[in-house]
Parts: sequence; C-alpha cells; structure tokens
Amino acid sequence: MKNIIEVKHLTKSYKSKKAVDDLSFEVAEGEILGLLGPNGSGKTTTMNCILALLKFDDGKIKIFGKEMTPNSYDIKSKIGVVFQDVAVFDELTVYGNIDYFCGLYITDKQTRAEYVEDAIKLVGLEENKNQYPKQLSGGLLRRLNIACGIAHKPKLIFLDEPTVAVDPQSRNNILEGIKRLRDDGATIIYTTHYMEEVEILCDRVIILDKGQIIASGTNDELKALAKIEEKVTVEIPEMNPKQIDALEQIKNVSSVTYENGVLKLVYVRGKNNLAEMIKYLDDNKIEYNKIFAERPTLNDVFLELTGKELRD
Amino acid sequence: MFWHSFKYALRSLLKNRSMMFWTLAFPFVLALLFNFAFARLHDYDVFEAFDVAVVDDDEFRDAEVFSEAFKSLSEADENRLFVTQYVNRERADELLEAEEIEGYVYLVDGEPHVKVKKNGTNQTVLTTAVSQISQRIEIATDIIETKISKDPMSAMNIEQISKEAIEAVSEVEPNIKDNSRVMNMVVIEFYTLIAMACMQGAMLSSEMIDRALPNISSRGKRIAAAPTRKSVIILSNLLAGYIVLLTGVLGLIAFMRFVLGVEFGSNLGLICAHAAAGSLAAIMMGMFLSVMLKTNSSAKNIIGVIVTMVGCLFAGMFGGQKGWFDSVMPFVNKISPVGLITDGYYALYYYEDMTRYFMNLGGLLAIAAVFMILSVQGLRRQRYDSI
Repeated sequence: MKNIIEVKHLTKSYKSKKAVDDLSFEVAEGEILGLLGPNGSGKTTTMNCILALLKFDDGKIKIFGKEMTPNSYDIKSKIGVVFQDVAVFDELTVYGNIDYFCGLYITDKQTRAEYVEDAIKLVGLEENKNQYPKQLSGGLLRRLNIACGIAHKPKLIFLDEPTVAVDPQSRNNILEGIKRLRDDGATIIYTTHYMEEVEILCDRVIILDKGQIIASGTNDELKALAKIEEKVTVEIPEMNPKQIDALEQIKNVSSVTYENGVLKLVYVRGKNNLAEMIKYLDDNKIEYNKIFAERPTLNDVFLELTGKELRD
Repeated sequence: MFWHSFKYALRSLLKNRSMMFWTLAFPFVLALLFNFAFARLHDYDVFEAFDVAVVDDDEFRDAEVFSEAFKSLSEADENRLFVTQYVNRERADELLEAEEIEGYVYLVDGEPHVKVKKNGTNQTVLTTAVSQISQRIEIATDIIETKISKDPMSAMNIEQISKEAIEAVSEVEPNIKDNSRVMNMVVIEFYTLIAMACMQGAMLSSEMIDRALPNISSRGKRIAAAPTRKSVIILSNLLAGYIVLLTGVLGLIAFMRFVLGVEFGSNLGLICAHAAAGSLAAIMMGMFLSVMLKTNSSAKNIIGVIVTMVGCLFAGMFGGQKGWFDSVMPFVNKISPVGLITDGYYALYYYEDMTRYFMNLGGLLAIAAVFMILSVQGLRRQRYDSI
C-alpha cells in the first residue's frame, strides 16, 4: 500500500521549547492513524506543520508524493481538516456553513449541493440544517464542525480532537461517521488524548510525548509493550493481610492491592488466571461480589513508557 | 470561487447585528441627534440680516477695498448679511454693551478686527465674513504685486490688473455674498459625521480580514487549509464590506440631504465619489490594521475607534475647533482620512473652484493606495510561527 503522507525529521520550536522534535513517520493509503498523547505533546503542532499552516525549523513533508507548501493547492484540494476549535460562522445556517466551506473546494453547484446533503446525513444534522450555530448544542456544533471539514469528500482527512466536550450520543455518531469515511476510502489522521477512541478506530497508533514518538504500531503491538497480560478487579467486603500475601504467591501475579473493599490483581502473562484466583477465594471461603477482567490499555502502555498517565 | 466567497461574506456581514448597527444604524442615530441639537439648521432659508457696526474712522476710510467689500454685504438685497451702522469707537462700544448690535468692526494699521460681547452664530458669521474679505484682499494684493514685479510697465494700467486680480480671487474663494452658505457653518458637524460613518469601514474590513487569517481565527485556519488563494478570499471579503459600507454612507448622505436638509452642493457625482473614496480609504486602513497588528480583533477595533475619534476631533465634530487645529497642527487634517473627507465636502459645498475638493479626493485615494500596498506586502510575507 502506498504512503499518502511522509514526514521526515520534522522539528518545530516555539522560542526555546521544542514542540516537535525530529519526528518521522508515514501514513499508508486507507488507514486511520491515531496520534495519541497528552495535552502539549505536539499532536496539533505536527498536524499544522503537515498542513503548511505553520513554519517549521527542519524536516520534509510529502503528501500524495509531493512536497507540501502553503501554495500546494492541488494537494490541499484533496485534504479535509477538522480543527479542535469549532470553526463556523455564527451568521450562517448549518447548511450555509457547510455549503460555504465545501464551495472553497467544489465549484460545481449541483455537485456541491449533493455533497452538502451527504455531509449533513453523515453527521446526522438533517433536522438542524436551517438552524444557526448558536441554536445547536455542543455536540451538534461539533458535528457541524466535522461536516464543514469533510463535505467535499477529501481523500485525506485530519481530525484534531473532534470529540472534545461532546455528549456520548454525539460521540458515537462522530465515531461511526469516521468509520464510514474510512470505508469510503479516505485516509485519516486522528489526534486525540482519548485512548478508548484510538482503540476503537485506529489501525495504527503513534504515541507522542514532548514532541517525540515514544512508541508506534498497532493496538496489539503497543499493548505488548506494557508487560501486562490482564488486570482483574474483585469486590470483596473483607480480607486480611495474610490472604493478600497468599494471592501474591499465585502464579503470574505481579502485584496485588486491596483498598476500600476492592481487590486488584495484575498478571504479567499466562492463561486461566481468573479461574485460579476464584478457586483460591472459594477454597478460603472468602465472600466476593462482582469480578472484572480487562486487557491492558494504551494508558498502561503510556504509563509503562513515561511513568505518567495520558491525561496528566 | 470569488463570487461564492463574496456571496457568503455579504450574507454573513448583513446578518452580523453588531457590525450592522455600528456601520449602518449608529450614524443615522447620530445624525438625528445632531439635527436635534442644531435645530436652527432648518431656519437657514429664512435667514435675516443682523445688526453690526463699523468704526468709521480714518483707518476705515483709507482701507478702500475693505470698506467697499464690507459695504456690499450691507446692501439691501437678497444676499444682505448685515444691517450696518457707521459710528465712532465709543458709540460702537455703547451699542455693543446695550446689545443693540452683535459686534463691530474696526481697523488697526489696516488690519480689520472684530469685537463681540458673546459667542453665537451671528458672531461667527461676522468674524468669518471679515476674515474672508481680508484673505481676498491679501490674495489680490499678491497677484497685483507679482504682475508688476514681472512687468513693471503694467503698473501703468493698474485698473486692469486690479480687475483681473479680483476676478482671479473670485474664482478660488467662496462667494461670501451667498449668505446662506456663510451661515451654514454647522454643516461641518454633519460632514464629520459622514467621515465617521466612512471610518466604520476600518472596523468592518478588519473583521472581514481577520476571518481569513489563520493566526487570528479558527475559521481562518480552515480557510488557509483550503485550496483557495488567500487573495481571492480577502478581495471578496473586502468587496462585500465595501459595498455594505458605501451603501450605508450614501444612504446617510441621502438621509441628511433629503430628510434633515443638510446642504452638500449640487454635484451629485462628486458627492458620491467622495463617499466612495472615503469608504475605500477606511476599508484599506482596516485591512492594514488587521494585517499588521498581531493582536485580537477587539484590540484592533479599539485602535480603529481611537484613530477615527481623534480624526473627528481634529476635523471639528465636537465643536468649532477645526480652524484652531488647522492653524496649530495643519498637517493632521491633511493626512487624516476623517479630515480629508470632511474638508472635501466642505470644499464641495463652499467653493466654486474644485481644486481643494480634488486635493482631498486625491489625498483619500493616496491613503487608500498606501494602506493597500503595505497590507499586500504584509500578507505576502506572512507565514506563521504560531497559530
């Protein structure tokens, strides 16, 4: 599969602070690449540099095989961008906003009208198309923001934290819409600090911290870096220290904590870990309620690599 | 692409209530308030000559040109300004003290002076008339002296030279015998209001440019990421702003002329041309502020308002101080768009010769050109370190 974006040794500083530090990566055609990192990790700056909105200190950026510059109009015509801030005109209706931004790419009126309707359907704003932005809820406004960025059916889409401060219903709608865009053949760069979204959406993930790539790969490849196989949480009303010590001796258990009636066990590897733990509880007549078992998350990977949480 | 952008720029502008109020409605409101404050404006058509006195001494009798000119303003015809008594100085003081006259004129070393007891419209008319007679005499004297110095033999025919000089002066100076025009000093206030309305264009265009700049607005980022040339967006935005502004200014002029009865003279084409040039200068100034100032839209608006209001102060909006500023800081009204707009309308109404009007018109176009060139240079160089 050919590369749609090639970034080589990209470096960008704000005064003495390096926002992006020698970043190199590629994005293959048709994939959804997640740029994951905490606030200030360089995700948005990287995106703005790729879009030639920002000057950068060093590096090369190619999109569709050509060098990207502010005047690369042929490249820009195939790109859609959804910025983190809602970028619409308060004085125009939902339809007017989408039509205006779509019209910067599509000159044929009939085609544009079809595209605008498609975008409205994609984000589920059919009942709101004659409303003004101020009449929309935060979630609907975010959907409008997305529609304005993708109405012209771009081949390459940048989505910069499109679900920030969005209600669950709108978030699901947005994520479903993004999947449909990918299914229609678009290549997508998705920046976020929500690891759950990355896990649901992205084919490949780049984790950024302090402007550098600290890890990249598929979800599974990244999780393999976490040195954790499974995390088990059990609600137990009462336990004594002796019992906790005994649990630590179970095969593959790397750590055990018990606080406020909640027992947490972390397993480094192995199978049937849960069964062995339940057997111990039953054998020792320890009363328990709910049990949760979960695989490691990207947050665990980030924690492992940087020693801090993604949302710190 | 241009017309698509223009259409939406126009639509969004017309629906921007705050911008429309300050650009279109506010000048109308001010015009009504001015009209209320200067209610006597409507009485100009029935202006009546008022009582003055002249100190009829040797100085007055020696100054033949001045005395003849002043007497002509006291003749009983339709252009009469003054009902004049010729008295000695003591009697003139008595009449003034008793408020039987509005003021009196006396000459010292050939220079005319005016003494008044209080300030008012009649006193302004008397002072202006005397000042203009003096100016005309000075210009005529210059012309005669120049002619004689170039051709000493021409002194033999001094009558002919004097006649030519007086004709030349008449062509470049206002016809002060038209008493309604002399009387109508208050129209300057309305002209500054038109200038202020034009200057709202600076805020309007600043807003329209900010929309297209990625370092100012998120919409600008989206526009900058699109395959549309920045120049197309900016030009279409400016054109939309210019059309809205000019429509408002011409509407204001029509309102002042036909509803409030403010006089502008009869040359409709030049009246509109001046509004167009003034609006253009303001639009370009707004673009300059938007491009050059690395700050937010509100700060730019505040700077635009300050420039406008200072210009209005110098141009005479807040009282009759235009003349004082012109004498103390004459360059300000020559480079201030507000001053040029105001003075252009003033010249158009008062002067039969168009030189002064065209100087103002040219000044406005030059200011527009300078702001445009600087802004384009700024825009072409712009790449952003941070957005």
